[in-house]
Amino acid sequence: MRARRRIPAALWAALIAGVVSVGCSGSGEAQKPSEPSEGATSGASAAVRPQPTAEGNKAEGDTLKIGIVVPINGDQKPWGDDALNGAQIALEDFNKQGGIAGKKVELVIGDSGSNTEQAKSAAEKLISDGVLGIIGDVTSSNTIQIAKSAFEKGVPVVSIGATNDDVTKQGANVFRVCYIDSFQGEVMAEFAYRDLGLRNVALLTDRKQAYSVGLSNSFRKHFEQLGGKIVGEEFYETKQTTFTGQLTNLKAKNPDGLFLSGYFPEVGPIVKSAKAAGLNVKFLGGDGWDSKEILNSGGEAIVGGFFCNHYNNKDSRPQVQHFLKRWKEKVGGEPGTTMAALGYDAMAVILDALKRCQSYDSKSLAAAIEETENFPGVTGDLTLKGQNGNPRKRALVVEVRPLPDGFVMRKAIEPKDLSQ
Amino acid sequence: MAPGAGLSLAAALDFGTLPSQVVNGVLNGAIYALIALGYTMVYGVLRLINFAHGEVYMLGAYTALFVSWAYGFRPDVPPDQLPESSLATLLVMMLASMAVCATVGVLIERFAYRPMRNQARISSLITAIGVSLLLQYGGGLFLPQNPPPTMNERVNPYRQTLELTLVGAPRELSQAVEAAREEFQKAERAFEERLQAEKDRFNLSPEGERLRDAKFEAERRLRDAESRLNSAQVTVRVSAGRLAILLASLALMFLLRQLVLFTPTGRAMRAVSQDFDSAALMGVNVDRIVTITFVIGSALAGAGAMMTATFLGTSITPYYGVLPGVKAFVAAVLGGIGNIPGAVLGGLLMGLAETLVIWAGYSQFADAVAFVVLIVVLLFRPGGLLGSSAVEKV
Repeated sequence: MRARRRIPAALWAALIAGVVSVGCSGSGEAQKPSEPSEGATSGASAAVRPQPTAEGNKAEGDTLKIGIVVPINGDQKPWGDDALNGAQIALEDFNKQGGIAGKKVELVIGDSGSNTEQAKSAAEKLISDGVLGIIGDVTSSNTIQIAKSAFEKGVPVVSIGATNDDVTKQGANVFRVCYIDSFQGEVMAEFAYRDLGLRNVALLTDRKQAYSVGLSNSFRKHFEQLGGKIVGEEFYETKQTTFTGQLTNLKAKNPDGLFLSGYFPEVGPIVKSAKAAGLNVKFLGGDGWDSKEILNSGGEAIVGGFFCNHYNNKDSRPQVQHFLKRWKEKVGGEPGTTMAALGYDAMAVILDALKRCQSYDSKSLAAAIEETENFPGVTGDLTLKGQNGNPRKRALVVEVRPLPDGFVMRKAIEPKDLSQ
Repeated sequence: MAPGAGLSLAAALDFGTLPSQVVNGVLNGAIYALIALGYTMVYGVLRLINFAHGEVYMLGAYTALFVSWAYGFRPDVPPDQLPESSLATLLVMMLASMAVCATVGVLIERFAYRPMRNQARISSLITAIGVSLLLQYGGGLFLPQNPPPTMNERVNPYRQTLELTLVGAPRELSQAVEAAREEFQKAERAFEERLQAEKDRFNLSPEGERLRDAKFEAERRLRDAESRLNSAQVTVRVSAGRLAILLASLALMFLLRQLVLFTPTGRAMRAVSQDFDSAALMGVNVDRIVTITFVIGSALAGAGAMMTATFLGTSITPYYGVLPGVKAFVAAVLGGIGNIPGAVLGGLLMGLAETLVIWAGYSQFADAVAFVVLIVVLLFRPGGLLGSSAVEKV
């Protein structure tokens, strides 16, 4: 009997040791992405990206196939639908302006189903169908999978909304039309420190999303560089419904701001229960907040929160006005999320590159995309030349106001405005 | 968590927040318990793990949402035009959710499980998984999820936070807060006056920036005073809605207990769970009892879903029931599947374990630890905490 008793004790010890050691390695790993990210904003100083060795696809006949992988099902569907509509409008605009003589561009649609496995298989299917290039996905985790498959086959990828820094490090065939997390983290750190006067900010990170982890790390790094203090960081997971444990911990750290780097379905309820937990602080976040639904899920608590975005319907740039007009004709109303404008831009960049192609194959398409300079996109002027796939472009700080106003643009921050 | 903080466990512990966290844990656990009851009752009677239970829960949340929309709480209405909510609204929503869930539960039993009842048990299990997937993806075709809707917070008339101070702070700290607040209000007024002359709040003139920074400086002093006050006292904060969840859950569980222990139906239910065939031989209408079990279990899930959707305001998607379903299933197994008090105990333990792990500074592993607790318990008590560990005769 005595001998039997001892085994449980040892087991307990092993289990506890296991949990603690996992804890250490986990937090160490979470720090990692913030280290090499800085080079990406300055473009030229970043390491050389590997060139794909595969030949890629060649156009057959007069049809030029371009693939798009976006979530048409699953919980990222709102973004997927908007991105797809945006891309289709871009293609129509391109054809109206003459297109490419003697050729027909065809958009082949793949569904990433809001998860990484399906994103990968959708991309592989499009590549075997012979697409010259792929647009997509709207999230970083999915784009990384698409980029991996595309790198093996030598097909260029233009991501719509993957802001995680590491996405374009997959290879020289990977580009995007959105800014990157280390830039948006920097923008929000600067805004929090200077315009809001915050000094003690706490972080709440969705540890299941590479996007959220990367954005939190970038915010932490830049906010600390400015002289602010990160008083605590807590973690939750996508689809979690209660956050009181994490918020009670953060309340005890007495922050004056809370940076919520996750996506809107969780951020809204978090903000609501943060107020209930007595956290009367400023709430800040990234472009993951970008859905009108956050006004409902966040209720009164989210009003007065600030987040970083790529695009705003109230922007007066002529490209935005044209885009809004076309959206109204084709889809109706105003686009609900930024992915609409980014989807348009991703398609427009690839079509613009296609026009400049020497021959219609993946290799020259990738080279032509790399040459993109001062392209007047809906979300801002973008340059990809010599930027390692990460365009230099502006970011908007948007304030959440009650309906009918919704999201109000407060400040446009250009890369050159930042203090570092 | 700061890098390296994980190395020393004791350093991360803050005993000032422990009472709050225990309360949080119990409140979270009450919901798990409510859903776990559905799993455990069905298992007790049919020896079937009803994997579609989480989806029944999801449909309950959508029902509550639709009823709230019918009351006029639609997301596109500006806040000042929303109707007033009341306890009656909440009761109607809850009854509607319970009714829809009960109906769905009975339909699932009638058309998916009953034809399989005399087949090998694995067939029913696979059917259960099939029904679960059917409702998730089938629901995706018809239910609004673009973007995932949330219940308007105005539906809940009890939005205040209750605060209970366990250990008070010294008087001079609260006086310091008052003094700092006055300073801050003065600086804020100065800045607001200046703002009249400014074009844009976020692109200020140098004078505006000076006043703004002075305001921030005063605000920081106020924050410091407040944080000293907060650190000196121990308070428990509970939002009234979460308390309502706990009270309603306890009331429902008490009703269930009375029903199972003191009514003829309850006696028949216990008889069926002890021995299905003998109960039938003794004149118990087994089909009727199975139907009633599904009605009760699903209605409890409906009540739980209505309350989480209303009081916690989480986004509702066709996958809304997956995570709570898995957690409640674990809670049911932890307490001893088939055992009703066990499900409640298991739910509360799960809630507490998760929250205490977060309290200890390991919020990254909150979910993992719940499962570690399950594994450890099952190693020593394979039947769960309150379940019988007797080997089943097959």
